[in-house]
Amino acid sequence: MSTCSDCKSFFPREDEPGKGDCVRRVVDPRQAYYTTKPKNPEDDASGCGEFQKR
Amino acid sequence: MTAEPAKLDVSLQEHEENQEWWWIAEKKRSKRLDYLRKAVWKKGALGGNYAPGIKVDLEGPKLFTDMWNFWKFDPIIMRRAKALAHVFDNISIFITDHSQIVGYWGSAPHTISWRVDGASIVNEELYNEPGIMPEPEEESLRKVAEINDYWAGQTAVDKVARILDPEDAVKFLSGAIGWGAPTSAYGYSGKNYEYYLKGERGFEDIIADIEDHIAEAEEKTIGTPGPDILHIYDRIQNWEAMITVLEAAIRFANRYARLARTMAEHLETDEKRKEELLRIAETCERVPAKAPRNLQESFQMDMLIQTMCRFEASEGAWPARPDYYHGPFYEKDVLQDKTLTEEEATDLIGEFMIRAYEVGGFGPRWAREGMQGITGTWVWTIGGVKPDGSDACNALTTAFLRTARLIRVSNPTFAFRWHPKVSDEVMRECFECIRHGLGYPSFRHDPILVANCMNWHGHPVEEARTWVHQACMSPCPTTKNGVQPFRMASATANCAKMVEYALHNGYDHVVGMQMGPQTGDARTFTDFEQLFDAWTRQMQWLLSLLVRTVNLGRYKDAEFYGRPLLSGITERAVERGIDAVNPEGERGNCWITGFTWVENADSLAAVKKLVFDDKKYTMDQLITALESNWDGYEQMRLDFVNKAPKWGNDDDYVDDIMLRCLRTLAKHSRVMRCTSNNTWPISPQNVSGNIHYSSVVGALPNGRRLGDALYDGGISPGPGLDKKGPTAVLKSCGKIDHVGDGRAFLLNQRLSPTQMAGEKGYQLWRAYMRTWADLGLDHIQFNMVSDKTLRAAQKDPEKYQEVIVRVAGYSAHFVDISRKTQDNIIQRTVQGI
Repeated sequence: MSTCSDCKSFFPREDEPGKGDCVRRVVDPRQAYYTTKPKNPEDDASGCGEFQKR
Repeated sequence: MTAEPAKLDVSLQEHEENQEWWWIAEKKRSKRLDYLRKAVWKKGALGGNYAPGIKVDLEGPKLFTDMWNFWKFDPIIMRRAKALAHVFDNISIFITDHSQIVGYWGSAPHTISWRVDGASIVNEELYNEPGIMPEPEEESLRKVAEINDYWAGQTAVDKVARILDPEDAVKFLSGAIGWGAPTSAYGYSGKNYEYYLKGERGFEDIIADIEDHIAEAEEKTIGTPGPDILHIYDRIQNWEAMITVLEAAIRFANRYARLARTMAEHLETDEKRKEELLRIAETCERVPAKAPRNLQESFQMDMLIQTMCRFEASEGAWPARPDYYHGPFYEKDVLQDKTLTEEEATDLIGEFMIRAYEVGGFGPRWAREGMQGITGTWVWTIGGVKPDGSDACNALTTAFLRTARLIRVSNPTFAFRWHPKVSDEVMRECFECIRHGLGYPSFRHDPILVANCMNWHGHPVEEARTWVHQACMSPCPTTKNGVQPFRMASATANCAKMVEYALHNGYDHVVGMQMGPQTGDARTFTDFEQLFDAWTRQMQWLLSLLVRTVNLGRYKDAEFYGRPLLSGITERAVERGIDAVNPEGERGNCWITGFTWVENADSLAAVKKLVFDDKKYTMDQLITALESNWDGYEQMRLDFVNKAPKWGNDDDYVDDIMLRCLRTLAKHSRVMRCTSNNTWPISPQNVSGNIHYSSVVGALPNGRRLGDALYDGGISPGPGLDKKGPTAVLKSCGKIDHVGDGRAFLLNQRLSPTQMAGEKGYQLWRAYMRTWADLGLDHIQFNMVSDKTLRAAQKDPEKYQEVIVRVAGYSAHFVDISRKTQDNIIQRTVQGI
């Protein structure tokens, strides 16, 4: 099973071990931006359409 | 990216000669600002509908609802604090390319937020709104249905509705006499800027103060038992809720800092952008935890707080005084330390305005139609005086005005506090904004409005002088006891109903029910006094019903809703351990927004003239014609339009009736009392309620038919009915006592762009403004876009995306308002000076 920690978009938090952020690039019809939301490293990523093997 | 301006080309001069300011702006602004300006997703409804691509944000509502349910046994204020903290900790956040200021009320740039706990009727409307559900639509609808089922019966409005008098509830909810919701879930929150935005205090300082209060209170609870200590338990709970959410707010800012650092260290290749991202990170690590040290930190702190408050409640206004509070940082960074160039500062100012412009939340149809093209009334106050009475204008005042002309957003707009010491330089900058067709700044007469604040609500002069626009028009101090933490839009009266009901014995022929008191069959009235007496009783009934509803909502709000974050930034609440919406210690600052007001004076004058004085028609004939919507009575209708005097022509016949109406109302304003036991003055204005209510107000004696647009402004003459020129308009409006007759009076004027061209145009306008000031009017605003441009924009909207017009209490992009509203603006008299 792939987990979030296996993904290129996952960035572990230096000051909070065991936690991390999923940071992704989005280009919408009007602008480009980086977005983030919290993720645990062991979260199941097998259903994630954005998963990219590290 | 540097603040490098786009290369100018020869056609710039051509555009200037043609007064095509929107194209000039596009060419003159920096590449960064041009990118950010064009990147905005329009959240204001186009007419009544959302733009393609706009989607409701379901991430925030789901997070909030999950945690609200999890903490179901907590008191309301703590429950909200914990649920809000959960949203701050988990919702998706983003940083747009080229941006330097962060913060958005939603999980992605194209989303509009949804207040789930405000009103079930709004939630149901969202479920039925086509086109705004995220894909896959079916799954989103299922999610919305689940959330709606959870909140049904326990939203703030559901709770108020249960205890309202049933008759009041039905009439209030009819939509005929007012609008809004009696809860702070959708309120206009005044902000206690004197407490938190002076660069002296950060959230960590407030938290330390609160911890001291808790320690002191806990000491009392373990002392001698007695009833005097019982209230302390509630206060401790409130303080703890404030700390919970203030700490979460600091973490929310730190999430942006972490994202910016991740981008700089792992994802960005451009060295210049890396530096900017690291600056964003340092800024968000600093504020709001600690007091800001420079302009970027000051803007960022303000932006984050405004954003976070919107996660707590759908704040429908954005009271601000940005030049006053951020000005010292601008002067330090740009003029003294020179750590920022003027161009770099312009980029920050422009982005600050763009960040505000892109904010949007879901609004029900009545709100969207009533405020077409915008998502709230972000009227930012600039200019004015300091608490000691000296001129408060600074270098940032003019910088904001110059930047506004580059950015051309319709939200925020500016309102300028004019006073006799304002310099010519500042006046010229204001005029340039008007000449460039922005429709803003509106002008506010500072000495009059300071006196007005003191007159109606007893604010001491030093506090009155801090005033900002709490919404479109109403001045409100920003001090500990003067600030009004929320004002509910539901004290908004559809005033044309006063005269309509006086003519129909309180019966509403449009909605088909008895609304007002039975004041007699108007067919039997034999003199004007009987009609005026009926009008007075209808007016008193209508206002009292709305104010009763608002007062109840306000009184119960801390129990039914609660605002822990707003409380944490409100000195009075922090000091006492109360919810900010609790009126304890507040001086009160209420007002009734008076939509469709001028129809009363014109209608009453027409009846007096043609029925009772000239005896050309009988009351029986008039009522029959009105009941027929003037259908079959066209000649008679034209007589009522053309042969009766109309407001705005310096004609005492009708002007005296206007004053009598206002003064009769003002007397009732002093009888009705708010939750702070203070007065309820009226502020006639329309937002765009003159269009929204056009299908709700029946035929009137001023010649109006059901469906016709109503007059556009609080004391603005009817479109095309002010025939005696601009001075006559000012003289009519100058007869009003702008201190004692009400809270504020909106006046729209259209000026000719051709006549206002060049230095001569400026001097003409200055002379006009001197007359305005001498006559003591409290407000004026201008449309200065030609019919030619507006008609071209109607034909080819894509080319005129940045053309702005003044609607009623706000500005909007012309292409974003309905055809009916567009036509109404074109119909207004262009005043030659």
